[in-house]
Formats: sequence, structure tokens, C-alpha cells
Amino acid sequence: MSQRIENFGELIETDVLIVGGGLAGNNAAIGAAEKGVKVLIVDKGSIERCGAIAGGVDHFMAYLNTDAWDTREAYLEWVGKIARGAVNLSVQNAVFCRELNSAIERMERIGCTLKQPDGTYYRTSSLGQPGPYFINFNGKNLKPLLAREARRLNVRALEKFSFSGLLTEDGKVIGGVGFNIRSGKFYIIKAKATILATGNTNRIFENPSGLPFNTWQCPANTGAAQTMAFEVGAKLANMEFVRITVVPRGFSAAGLNALTGMGGKIINAVGEEFMFRYHPSGSKAPRYKLVEGVMREIYEGRGPVYVDCRHLSESELNHLKKTLGYDKDTLPDFIEQKGIDLGKDLLEIMASEGMQGGPSEVCSSGIMIDEKTASTIPGLFAAGDCADQMRCVHICTTGGYLSGKMAAEYAIALNVEAKINLSQIKQLKDKTFSPLRASGDVSQRKFEDTMRKMLWQNAGPCRNERSLNVALEKLEELERYFKEIKAQNYHELMRVLETYQILQVAKMMCTASLARKETRFGVYHYRTDYPETKEDFEGQIILWKTDQGIKTEFKRLDYNRIPEP
Amino acid sequence: MPPVIDKEKCNGCGICDLHCPLDVIYFDEKANLPVIKYPDECWHCGSCRLDCPTGAINIRFGPEMLFL
Repeated sequence: MSQRIENFGELIETDVLIVGGGLAGNNAAIGAAEKGVKVLIVDKGSIERCGAIAGGVDHFMAYLNTDAWDTREAYLEWVGKIARGAVNLSVQNAVFCRELNSAIERMERIGCTLKQPDGTYYRTSSLGQPGPYFINFNGKNLKPLLAREARRLNVRALEKFSFSGLLTEDGKVIGGVGFNIRSGKFYIIKAKATILATGNTNRIFENPSGLPFNTWQCPANTGAAQTMAFEVGAKLANMEFVRITVVPRGFSAAGLNALTGMGGKIINAVGEEFMFRYHPSGSKAPRYKLVEGVMREIYEGRGPVYVDCRHLSESELNHLKKTLGYDKDTLPDFIEQKGIDLGKDLLEIMASEGMQGGPSEVCSSGIMIDEKTASTIPGLFAAGDCADQMRCVHICTTGGYLSGKMAAEYAIALNVEAKINLSQIKQLKDKTFSPLRASGDVSQRKFEDTMRKMLWQNAGPCRNERSLNVALEKLEELERYFKEIKAQNYHELMRVLETYQILQVAKMMCTASLARKETRFGVYHYRTDYPETKEDFEGQIILWKTDQGIKTEFKRLDYNRIPEP
Repeated sequence: MPPVIDKEKCNGCGICDLHCPLDVIYFDEKANLPVIKYPDECWHCGSCRLDCPTGAINIRFGPEMLFL
């Protein structure tokens, strides 16, 4: 065969490839580049503003050794309590605790301090914490500052780029392929190490606002990493969980922990602070409890449900108004355009759309990682919400950076040159562009809407063996229509590929959920046929691809011992 | 009905197109103005407004969100 790689697209060679330029991806880029290797990030957006904290963020969880609750041991003990059955304490120790000091120092250095203008930390407690672990800070420019640092370290970025598949050689990942979403130009990226950092899976469940992009987390995050890692044989964990939060009615915006952390009370139609009926911490209960409380009050006829901030002092209100805009830039506009003044009026809230993600603030769902952030496939690493042991701003910062360092070290130690297989490129390119050639008339939006409704019905916050099997059967049927979805341009092509990823994640979610024959984290894994939480399930459901379909296995985790520093 | 561009204030730099994480805003070279091409896919993250150097972008929520 005389065909050359260049005939298929532009070839780029790098040491470390990072897919996803969000918080974890940018930190990974910095970690890798500081080791002196060549780094390339690809993202559908720009590395300055993309991912879950595109427009900013206001909280960073940390222990600062000021008190008994404020230590590494106390933090890990709390982690083991709130995320028992999904969190791996040794990996948490590696991806968060060991990296915390350098992360705080790095944020300071790049110009995004965690401190207030007066030099102190403003700390709040919410979501079931034993003390105020959340540091409130102005993270409006965290992303552009990280991107500036990455670019200063000569990290190259390919933006408006849809990554569409991993390249492998003898069971190792050696890079991947993708295209520019404006020009359609195809790229082949050869990399010694690849880090996937594409977030959790959104647009998977029916959105209560009827607007699929009105989501709590970034709607461009659709399980690309989970799908691609699965396809090359990596093991995944925590895929069974549904994640839901509490948001202002009509706008699925972040800001809950600011509202309740600052002392906002969640009340029902008769003004009762009803959360005390569900959890001793009341409005500061863990997120899954808040969601259950809000859903039940509304379902049982005691809604509407509100956040009441009227009792806060003027200085508290001023801080709250500012910090809400740090977490979701446009939330203050929404509140204002609704004609609400938080000092005088109640803010109506509701349960958000469901998403596939981890069951707590400390661990996510997706590619199973070890203490070095490596997946079970050589050459493939994971960071951020698509890795089973990272989540939230604090761990995406610490663990993202660690994954960059680890991938760089792997790349440096590699002494064999990978060979790209041309027929694999051809196959991936054909698959990537096939929706442009589709002849059917199935609309991508309608297809996704149907899938979302069906999944919320059968695999949402109420599931049982029958409903999960029904969901799996319907997903199989739906998949047969997938090839009839036509993309008219490269932007639509990107969306159709996202639809495919959502479908693949849905299959993994339902299969993993069937294996967890218990209820855990309330509505985040509520099996109506197994309503009890069982000690037997204090561990993870691991899944991977086989020729016979998805295989699952239960892995018990140890919560009796806090790992050594 | 997310970002609203003030044509008088826009200087045609195109940064809103570059920084929109959802590929919603397309810069029209001929008109030298950004166009909101996929309004249904806006995430209301505010990145376009945050990075607009001339303050030409406002965020307007539609009744489908304000009065749900």
C-alpha cells in the first residue's frame, strides 16, 4: 500500500496529548509542560473558556490544619463516610492530599488567589461537611489564568476541535484523531501518552425546563472520554450513578452551596424548613439528601420550594450576591430579570435535570484510575470528572496536575517508537464522518429528546431490574436508528457524535446499575426493588468491554484505614 | 435568547466566537459582526460577555426560563 498518513489528514506528533481543556485538562497541561515535554491540548471550545467552570467558580474544598476537623485525616474520614461505596481512599490521598499544598501555591502564583482581598480565607460549610471545608474565592478568571500559564509553558492548543477516537497499537494508546468543527479538517495525533479529561455526561436525562442545553454542568460534556476509553478496553467505575442537584427554577445554574453555605434556608410552601425532617444538618445536608427533600416536598404537594435569604445581614447578602456571580456569571442577571431581591424575596428552586456523574463532591464516574492517574490501558490516563476518583474544583486542580506529571514521566520513559496503522486511521475517519453521508431523515434533536425521556422514565432516580432492562432494550433499538441521523455541517457532526456518546454511556449506566442490587446515596442510586443500603456493596461496580458485551465485577474497598500521608 | 450584541459597541474583534464553549457564536466576516447561530445551544455561561473588550454583550433570559 503506497498510501501515506498525510493523505488522510494532518499528522501532529506530541509527547502528551490532553483531550479536554477544562480545569483538569489545563492543570494537566501545566503539570506535563513543567516536566519539559511537548504538550498538545484539544478542545471543542477554547482553553480560556471551556468546560464546567468556563464562566467562573467560587469554591475550592481544602483542609488547612487550623483545627481537629481541618486535617488530612479528618477530611479523608469524612470522604470515606459521604462517598462510601464509590470512593477509593488511597487514590484520593494521592490525587488530592499529596497535591493540595502545591495546588494552593500554584493558584497564588498564576494570579488566582484563594484568599480575600484582606488576605484571609472566607470559609463556608455546606453539603454535610464537618467544618467549613469550602474556601470561597473569586474564580471568575481561573480558566483564562490557567490557560495563560499553559501557553507560557509552550503548550499547544487545537481549539474548536472535536476529538473522535483513540489510536492503539498492541493494546497501548498512541494518540487519536479528530476534526476542526468549522473547517472539517482531519487530524491524526501521535502521542506517547494521552490524558482524557472531558468531564461527566450531560444531556442524558429529560431536562425539566424542556431546554436540553440548560444544564448544571457543561452541556458539551457528553461522555466522550468514557465512550472512547471503553472502546479501547479500559475499565470504568461508578457508572451506575445519576447525579441531580438543586437549582433556581427555570435556570440550571450552579450556586447552591453558596446559597446554603451562606445561611440560606430551604423552605416549603408553608415556610417550614423541611430539610430537618430528612437530615439533621437541615439545609446544609449532603446534596443527594437536598435533592430528595426538594423532590418529595413538591411531589407530595408541599411545594413550591424556596431558598430564603431574607434573614441574612446586609454584609452577608452583599457577599452572597457577589459570590453567586463568581460561580455562575449570569445567575445575578437571571435573579434580577425575574425581579427578585434576595434580601426581600424568596427564590424558587427545583431539582435539576439528571446527569451521569459521581455520587458526591469527592469522586466522579468514568475511567478507573490508580494512584498515578493511569487507566488500565498503557498510555492512557484520565483526569477530572471523567476519572472515577476526581471531581469538583479541588480535585480537578490537584489531580489534573498530577495526571500531567505522570503522563509526562510515562512519555519520557517510553523507548519504543509507536507505529500508526493506516487501516485504523481509515476506519476511524470513516466512522467520524459517516453522519455527513447518512441518508436518513431522523433528527438528532428528536432522537436525543426521546432517549432522554425514556432514560428518565426507566433509569432515572427510580429504577428497578425490569425498568433497567427495558431501558437497555430500547437503547439497542434506538441505536439502530442512529445511523439515520444526518449532519448538515461540521457543527452538527460534532453534536451527532455527542449523541452517540450519550447513548454509549447510557448503556454502561444501566448495566452497572443492574449489578448494584441495593440503594446508595438516596436518589443517586435508588433501586425500588432493593431499597436498602447494604454493607456488601461497600465498593465499586467495575465494567469493561468484551466480545459478549459489557462485563461487570464488584470490587470491595477498604474504609477501615486512613492511608499514610 | 441568550447573548444580545450591541452593534454600536461591537469592535469586531471576534473573541466571543473564539471563546464560546458551545460553538454558538459565529463571527460574520462580511458584516464584521458576531451572529448567534445556535441560540438553543447557549449554556448562559457568560464567557462571551466576560471577555468582550467593549462591553457590547448583554445576557437576556427568555420567558421560557424566567417564568417556568
